[in-house]
Amino acid sequence: MDCIITIDIGTSAVRIFAFEMNGRAIGFMKGSYPTFHTEAIYSEQDPEQVFITVLYVLKNFLTEKINIRKYKVAAICFSAAMHSVLPVDKNGVPIGNAITWADNRGKKEADDLKKLPIAKTIYDATGTPIHPMSPLIKIAWIKRHDKERFNKTGKFIAIKNYIIQQLTGECVIDYSLASATGLFNIHKLHWDSNALDYAGIKADRLPMPVPVFYSALHLRKEYQVSLGLPAKTKIITGASDGCMATLGAGVWGEGKATITIEQSGAVRVAGNKMIRDSKQRFFNYLLTEGYYVSGGPTNNGGVIFEWFAKQFGVFNEAYGMDDSVHNLIKDAMQAPAGSGGLLFLPYLLGERAPLWNANARGAYFGINIKHEQKHFVRATLEGILYEIYSIGKILEEHRAFSTLSINGSFASYPLWAQVIADMFGKPVSVNNSYDSIGTGALLLSQTEMGIHRSLEDAAKTVTLQASYHPNKNDHQVYMKYFSVFEKLSHKLKDEFEEIALLQNL
Amino acid sequence: MSQLFLQQQKSAELNPFPHIAVFANRKIQHIQFNSFVKKISETIGIYYITEGKFEWVINNRVFSLYPGDTAIILPGQEFGSEKGFLDPGTLTWIEISPQVFTPAGGLLLGAWSGIPENESRAIGKLLSLNGISVLSKLSGAGNMFQQLQKEIMDREIGYSVRVNQLIDELLIHIVRHLTRQNNLQRDFPQTFMKLEQALRSNLDHQWLVEEMAVIVGLGTTAFTEKVKNYTGFSPLHYLINIRIAEALKLLKNTGKPVTDIALETGFYSSQHFATTFKKLTGYTPRQFRVNNKKNT
Repeated sequence: MDCIITIDIGTSAVRIFAFEMNGRAIGFMKGSYPTFHTEAIYSEQDPEQVFITVLYVLKNFLTEKINIRKYKVAAICFSAAMHSVLPVDKNGVPIGNAITWADNRGKKEADDLKKLPIAKTIYDATGTPIHPMSPLIKIAWIKRHDKERFNKTGKFIAIKNYIIQQLTGECVIDYSLASATGLFNIHKLHWDSNALDYAGIKADRLPMPVPVFYSALHLRKEYQVSLGLPAKTKIITGASDGCMATLGAGVWGEGKATITIEQSGAVRVAGNKMIRDSKQRFFNYLLTEGYYVSGGPTNNGGVIFEWFAKQFGVFNEAYGMDDSVHNLIKDAMQAPAGSGGLLFLPYLLGERAPLWNANARGAYFGINIKHEQKHFVRATLEGILYEIYSIGKILEEHRAFSTLSINGSFASYPLWAQVIADMFGKPVSVNNSYDSIGTGALLLSQTEMGIHRSLEDAAKTVTLQASYHPNKNDHQVYMKYFSVFEKLSHKLKDEFEEIALLQNL
Repeated sequence: MSQLFLQQQKSAELNPFPHIAVFANRKIQHIQFNSFVKKISETIGIYYITEGKFEWVINNRVFSLYPGDTAIILPGQEFGSEKGFLDPGTLTWIEISPQVFTPAGGLLLGAWSGIPENESRAIGKLLSLNGISVLSKLSGAGNMFQQLQKEIMDREIGYSVRVNQLIDELLIHIVRHLTRQNNLQRDFPQTFMKLEQALRSNLDHQWLVEEMAVIVGLGTTAFTEKVKNYTGFSPLHYLINIRIAEALKLLKNTGKPVTDIALETGFYSSQHFATTFKKLTGYTPRQFRVNNKKNT
């Protein structure tokens, strides 16, 4: 029987799924690789280690789950984390490590560009907010601060491009991943000359953009042998992880939004128009030509709740983080919605959407003598979700939605899901994010192979159950407190600057 | 406990224990100049403070020690006081001569010890990797020293076995405490990163799972399961990932002979390297190098 394999090259791990042609899941395997922080604001990965991990997991997966059960691999489709930059020399050999989305070294380059009038033109053309995460900014940084590496670089590629290049010999970037570089004109589908000028490069130093369905790729002979895959195995370039997750959550067209909360988080909608936010707060990434996934990312998702657990949680066993988080969530359930007026600003890692302020910091506000530990636990959770809500609220000014699908390891805790439903005042359905990235890649592959007529038809096959319904009273409680939360987030702008300067981070 | 100062070859009490270089329990009442100058230690020294405050330099770092603190000095580390003497106070210590100790942390305690060879290596690795010389408030250590002294002096039946067991116990106690002090055993990703760094900076070392586990502060079973869960790989397979990744870089970026690359990245032979490499990539290292040049 034929099967489709999806490979997601994520922030910390590669996740491989296999599906039968009709979409039935066959199996899953993952392998992780480290992120190096040689300096506090740096975030890098070793491209060779990522490649070897992908290869190793793929080989094990094929041996243990696919070949043994006589499945034939009809297609392999890729997705990957956005915004990585890997300089390679003219021979395609990496020059140092890849710089990941979380790297903040380009803060000054981003600030400088934001002050220029061209910034708005670049945002309108590329859809990517001007931010250190953006490859546009990273390349500008390398040009300014690492001239030698810059000069040696033949091409600036993404980790995903590197993996596909190793496997097939072709250096291509799909429109979806290209649209997250800040360098790609998402309307005209070519590298944007204004952005290229700011980065200080010409288009020939970037990979060739291709559609997400592009499949004129062939596994190198050696990998055909070592992986036991026939030469005709279809390799589909695929899209970015965020776009795949949105597709896999069945979000297509008006009226729907999806929320992901892993370590970080995002709220996304999809449609055939870019959201032209005057304050440039939202990203607009291409799922495919003429189809945009728009939304806002937050730095402060589950990572903040884990921070709280690490400091104040109980650990009954070594490294029992899941257990500790679980118990804290139980504590939080003992406190009322709104945490008795205790508010938490979750900006421990600075913030992207909607503040876009790297200097933002966390705070507990409104503490009174009656507050107990459980209020702090719940306030922490609610603070993270107010932040998610604040992205959703502004997003809704551009694009209305009436239902939410949520995914990610944190969002799928029942209490988190319920609080999301209550804050938004909308029904919420839950699905698993890794599944939704894999499902997105499956739908894209099926569409490429003619099983679905279009991605739109494919998205319709995703059915989700509305499992959480909003509680009107709690919604009102949250809305009252949210108004304070929102005001505080803006009011403290000067103090954020001051304290960040003192903290020297 | 009464004061004593036993030295190998000078004190008959230590005859049954050739691995104990010194065992002492001393109350310092008067300052003796030049009695405690900095010098390179040849033994594993474990010092436990009962009274007073001491300022010592261990391995180029200054430490203040208070009652309940334990200092661990490794062979090759410089140790002493900047002032050249011991301040008033009470302390007890033991100096152990290991059969083998290498700066990279190769440790063989000797036949007297009941700690198996692989665990002994793990202990050596942990002690030398961490560069931590002082454990504050090491509860239990004082009691172990008291028992040691009692056993050495009283010579009750079975005392030689008990003394060796107590030394083993003391080492185990220190090592376990060390791993817990180093990481609160809360944040696995963070601790795993420490392990990752240790592996990368000693890639040519023939790592044992025990050695890796002790850095994370878990037993080998729990460690293996945790790593498998977190990375998708067994600890040794994860290590192979790093080795191959480093080897790939060396093959691409240098003209080093394949055999050198193999040994540098921790494969025990170029044959072993070639087999592992080919199984994964489909290329032998030599083919890979040629192909990589051709491609470009």
